[in-house]
Amino acid sequence: MAVKTLNVDQVGRSVARLESRQKVSGRAEYVHNMKLPGMLYGKIFRSRIPHGKIRHIDTTAAQRVDGVFSVVTGDDVRTLVPIPYYGPAFHDQPVLALEKVRYVGEPVAVVLARDPHVADQAAQLIEAEYDELRAVYDEVEAATATIHVHEILKPAGTFPDLKYLEGRRDTNIALDFQLRRGDAGRAFAAADYVFEHTFHTQTVMHTPLEPLVSLAEPGDDSVTIFTASQSPSFVRMEIARMLGWSENQVRVRTAFLGGGFGAKLYIKLEALVAVLALMARRPVKIGLTMEEQFYHITKHATTTRIKSGVSKEGRIVARECEVYWNGGAYADIGPRVTQKSGFTAAGPYDIENVKLDSYAVYTNLPPAGALRGFGIPQLVWAYESHTDLIARQLELDPIEFRRKNILREGRPQAVGTPMRDAAIEACLEKIADRMEWGKPCYRGSAALRRGRGVAIGFKACIAPTTSVAIVNICADGSCGLYCSTVDMGQGSDTAMAQIVAEVLGMQAEQIRVVHPDTDVTPYDMATLGSRSTYHMGNAVKRAAEDAKAKLEALAREAGAEGSPIPDVFRARYGMQAGNVVGIGTFIPSYQSPDKKTGHSENVTPFWMIGGAGVEVEVDVETGRFRVTKLVNVADVGKPINPKAVTTQLSGAAIMQLGHTMFEKMIFEDGKLTNASLADYKIPGFLDLPEDLTSEFVEAEQHGGPFGAKGVGETATFGVSPAIANAIHDAVGVRIYSLPITPEAVYRAMNGLPQEDRR
Amino acid sequence: MNRRIRFTLNGERVEADVAPHHNLVELLAERFDLVGARESCGQGLCGCCTVLVDGRAVSACLYLASFVDGANVVTIESLDAAGGLHPVQEAFIENAAFQCGFCTPGFVLMTAQLLEEKPDPSDEEIRHYLSGNLCRCAAYPEIVDAVKAAARKTAAKGR
Amino acid sequence: MTPFELVEPPTLREAISALDPADPSTRAIAGGTALMLMMKIGIFKPTRLVSLRRVEERYRRIDVDEDGALHIGALTPLAAVERSAAVAAKAPAITRTLLTLSNVRVRNVATVGGHLAHADPHMDLPPVLIALGARVFVVGPSSERWIDVADLFKGYYETALANDELIADLVVPPQGHRHAAYLKCTTLSADDWPAVGVAVSLETERGSIKDAVVAVSAATEKPMRLDGVAALLGGKPADEATCKRAGEAAAAALTVLPDGRGSIAYKQQLIRVYTARAIRRAFEFAIANGSAN
Repeated sequence: MAVKTLNVDQVGRSVARLESRQKVSGRAEYVHNMKLPGMLYGKIFRSRIPHGKIRHIDTTAAQRVDGVFSVVTGDDVRTLVPIPYYGPAFHDQPVLALEKVRYVGEPVAVVLARDPHVADQAAQLIEAEYDELRAVYDEVEAATATIHVHEILKPAGTFPDLKYLEGRRDTNIALDFQLRRGDAGRAFAAADYVFEHTFHTQTVMHTPLEPLVSLAEPGDDSVTIFTASQSPSFVRMEIARMLGWSENQVRVRTAFLGGGFGAKLYIKLEALVAVLALMARRPVKIGLTMEEQFYHITKHATTTRIKSGVSKEGRIVARECEVYWNGGAYADIGPRVTQKSGFTAAGPYDIENVKLDSYAVYTNLPPAGALRGFGIPQLVWAYESHTDLIARQLELDPIEFRRKNILREGRPQAVGTPMRDAAIEACLEKIADRMEWGKPCYRGSAALRRGRGVAIGFKACIAPTTSVAIVNICADGSCGLYCSTVDMGQGSDTAMAQIVAEVLGMQAEQIRVVHPDTDVTPYDMATLGSRSTYHMGNAVKRAAEDAKAKLEALAREAGAEGSPIPDVFRARYGMQAGNVVGIGTFIPSYQSPDKKTGHSENVTPFWMIGGAGVEVEVDVETGRFRVTKLVNVADVGKPINPKAVTTQLSGAAIMQLGHTMFEKMIFEDGKLTNASLADYKIPGFLDLPEDLTSEFVEAEQHGGPFGAKGVGETATFGVSPAIANAIHDAVGVRIYSLPITPEAVYRAMNGLPQEDRR
Repeated sequence: MNRRIRFTLNGERVEADVAPHHNLVELLAERFDLVGARESCGQGLCGCCTVLVDGRAVSACLYLASFVDGANVVTIESLDAAGGLHPVQEAFIENAAFQCGFCTPGFVLMTAQLLEEKPDPSDEEIRHYLSGNLCRCAAYPEIVDAVKAAARKTAAKGR
Repeated sequence: MTPFELVEPPTLREAISALDPADPSTRAIAGGTALMLMMKIGIFKPTRLVSLRRVEERYRRIDVDEDGALHIGALTPLAAVERSAAVAAKAPAITRTLLTLSNVRVRNVATVGGHLAHADPHMDLPPVLIALGARVFVVGPSSERWIDVADLFKGYYETALANDELIADLVVPPQGHRHAAYLKCTTLSADDWPAVGVAVSLETERGSIKDAVVAVSAATEKPMRLDGVAALLGGKPADEATCKRAGEAAAAALTVLPDGRGSIAYKQQLIRVYTARAIRRAFEFAIANGSAN
């Protein structure tokens, strides 16, 4: 290099998080803790009915409470914003309910007060009258129901390929995606065996421990929003669009997030606090309680019908899948999940004839969006349970059956895109190895039966999306990275700093990572879908390379080649002065799937592969079971920060363990009955498998920064079906719906009907 | 209905006017700008609001602010007040025992308490003692490693 | 939460007189862990809270009297009970139960009296105390009385206490050769409230059960002592048939409430299984401790 720098490997080193000290001392900044002078607290009054026309909202008693600043309803919002609807895929969600309410918990009005207790007390005094409408909750029922959650579909312009849906009415199907490959009908007719099953997943919630929170500060012709958001760039654009403003009038800032997992994507509370702050001409903060979070975002419940034709040699020759996604009352990012994950519904298998239909369906439940896996865990649940059932019925070893059918490197996936840098086979073999699959396993006692199971899944990274980064080298040789990737615990600050440091020959710990601030940091699509390492990683790498080239040019110009960086600046500017700013932009190439066939030669920049091996012990008297062993294996490309990758893998697997074993939002007539951590349980220390390992296979992602790819979701894929498969192995019964509660196992073992799943 | 209370906060004698319906999280954040104890589940289940009152860990979200009158209150912010990190904090960093960090102060304080009671805890004891603290990022395996490392560090310092 | 008056009398007597028998919005608060939950979600909006944290120190003591009975002051934090050598010696079932009761922070703050007066059917100590034959000493404005823990609970979050009565002491009688076991079953996460709790205390004689007490909690609106089930055990060894019959009888005797932790049918099964297992566990303790003669 023409400038003198360090030469220590930064990529591939387990650098401790840059913000470690702040986090262990309680000083890390979260929007949760922010306050501004003169700030008002908002408390939301919510719908208590699942579906109805708003007749009247009585706010008089609330307004009379001492200390109340104002009470705002949807009609009041309209005085500032004539069309107050937002959403990433559809402009269907009102800032506050207008004309209709569509689910229990929907925000109807807000009380503003200096004292949050006063706002809370006053909100309890609001009364609303409705003309109740019949409601629909089940995704399959809703697809053909005469009850309509929305009268007319309002696709957003954000994604050009949704435009065709504009103006559709009297349907709850927000989006239908289809894929046709080969001739499934003929292949089924010719198949030796045909298997068909239906699987369900339940509604769950992300429950980040920092609940959703946003704070808006009004300016004369601007607004600044401090928000616990995974997508500050989107918030800026969407708020500007809604207000009819330009992007540069809206400033969005984030801090560290106390967890995200997809809960804090797109717009959540930002539109509401922005409008309230502009109306009140005061800063307004709304921080949800843990209970309230459950009414803002969930993970799609699904119904998947899956059918396979298999030859007597054990080859899958045809597969048909019908997936219904329960999107709740507002589409959020559901339509994208339906398409972007929908096309993988046939699994990581080499199948000539595939027919897939995937439907995003509106219901009268809280809105569903992305949750760690973007729909993939729901699909893997279906296809890997189904795969195991086929292997059992054909009396084939489940690993052997998978080996026969697995998508190998270079073979086209159902959508038509060849698998490249997708270590499916290596993952499967490593799981088999770690499970000692070749040896007989301990079967337990008569009272405590043991069994084992495996599952493997894959995901295409959501495409095409853009990331931009800026690397700024100061005159003393120190360096700042400006990017809008949000560190919500995944460790992106540290990984991005490692990339900069690697390129510039610095220490990762010396890089200052500037947190997202749309007035300062450039555009990034969002921190979601395990896209940051690849997309932002590439942008950051390019920005650092650009900075390095500029620095070298500066050194040549100043005749200071080979000098330390401060000397270069001094030589050029005569004193410690100046900057070198490098910019990097990244967007991968992409081909949109054909509308009729779903075909695309290039549907994703990279594939994510993850699988699990599980051993369980089942108490035959009660159906209670313990996961005695959980092996997670993932293709992570070349890890930037191995320790961070391992913690992401085990963290994702444990989260999925909760979704598998007990997490479930329980609705009675559309009313959520367990909206708190007292009744909606998430995994704690005592739920961990006794033996838990997370490993990655040797792999390299071409086109990824230093061979890396995204990993945040990968370990969620296999957990649920691997557990169901292990239970089947242990006690001979199949569970078709998540969660796999002890009661579900007990009922299955005793031939009792399962409880109604909602 | 406000009352004046006096108590020791991180080693310093302090006083504050408190409303009867305010909890200890609010008192610390509103009056003393100490935000390391944070209300999350609001039900004493997650441990994010852990504070030590008279040497015992409590959930500040379920603790009336008035009840610290006359008490000795210690928050996460005191652990490295002297400049250096507490051995538990060092161990958490070295073992990557956190991700988003929101629950971390609670885990650190609980671990410090655990090691005072049991300087060399078994895995089982660690899991049980910390079973009332939730980490949605699920850094649980790393936390067990960190607790054991902290125990070793503490033992080495005592020697 | 909404503002209220907070009083902190220095004696139990004064605390009782600060309570109002006719006004349920006036209540005593000890550790407050349970009451705070109700206040935060707005199902309890107090006008006045009477704090017990300044009352006489003797209500925080744990003593053993000359008969060997264990006296635990009502304001003793659960953590102090957990660590008490006297409790471990006289009623080890209580010590074992506390290890998995809620969490460390709640145990540090919640008191024995509050735990009982809250009358949440999912609480762990009530069935254990019922099995041990414990009583509470209750003080009112002009009266004092003993109530068996088995008779303390009248319904879902309801006790036999008047609004101006307070639990002052908990007394666990000497257990002699009796041994007790408490088993609980969670169906969601491991740290969840139990779906079913079963406590059994028994004495053995020549390899058979001499007499037993069986109590079930969590699945019902209040913890229940099942005398009919206990009667089935007398004179029998804790063999599979006996335990199974007792489990069947327990499930048949109770009105089970369904919730997110299990349907009626499933909780009945859990009662069957855990009753049988708790009997066997208590029996094993008794045999192992050599009390059988």
